[in-house]
Amino acid sequence: MNKNLTPVIVRSLVGLLILMALLFVAGVVVGFLSAKGSLDADRALVWVVAAMAVIIMTGGMVVTVAWMRSIDEAAQEAHKAAWFWGGTAGMMVGGILIILTVLPQARTWAIPSGFEGRADPAAYAATGGAAMMLIMVLGYTIVWAWWWWRRR
Amino acid sequence: MNNRLKILRAERDWSQADLADQLGVSRQTVNALETGRYDPSLPLAFKIARVFDQPIEAIFSDTDA
Repeated sequence: MNKNLTPVIVRSLVGLLILMALLFVAGVVVGFLSAKGSLDADRALVWVVAAMAVIIMTGGMVVTVAWMRSIDEAAQEAHKAAWFWGGTAGMMVGGILIILTVLPQARTWAIPSGFEGRADPAAYAATGGAAMMLIMVLGYTIVWAWWWWRRR
Repeated sequence: MNNRLKILRAERDWSQADLADQLGVSRQTVNALETGRYDPSLPLAFKIARVFDQPIEAIFSDTDA
């Protein structure tokens, strides 16, 4: 294993532990204050989940940057190629699916939601976003593997 | 671009992993360099030249020249 990667993994694990501790503390505080009646639990839940989402995504970005800097230049090139060619190709496929929604027939299509069958707008928006990401990651993975296979 | 990496490495009896260690890259990258399927950046080319104690042009040659 790349020895530059070890500190990245260690810091990621520490970050994950801190996040779990923060979640625990937030849960206890919200539970305590809402039991006392001095806090609206529903509103607090929104803030806690929003804060956690920001922390998780920011932490993910920080880890990704550290990891990208820890790998060598050929590995970086593989990821750049995968991001451009695979990500763009995946976006193209996703774009076709988006364009298809202009069809009148699309109004009656039964599209499954990725959130336990929820059929509200937020669930569908998140499902669409996640589907686009999934297709792009698929393209990314294929191009990344192809890049290394060509250079084996 | 052609290179003499494999020959130079063999002359020193180094494995790909040995060379990778000295260059601070992965063994896969050394393999890609040796097979000519990956051209190094200028900083890496200079590093390779330092490791083998040779000028860059003694290691790499331009196939179009």
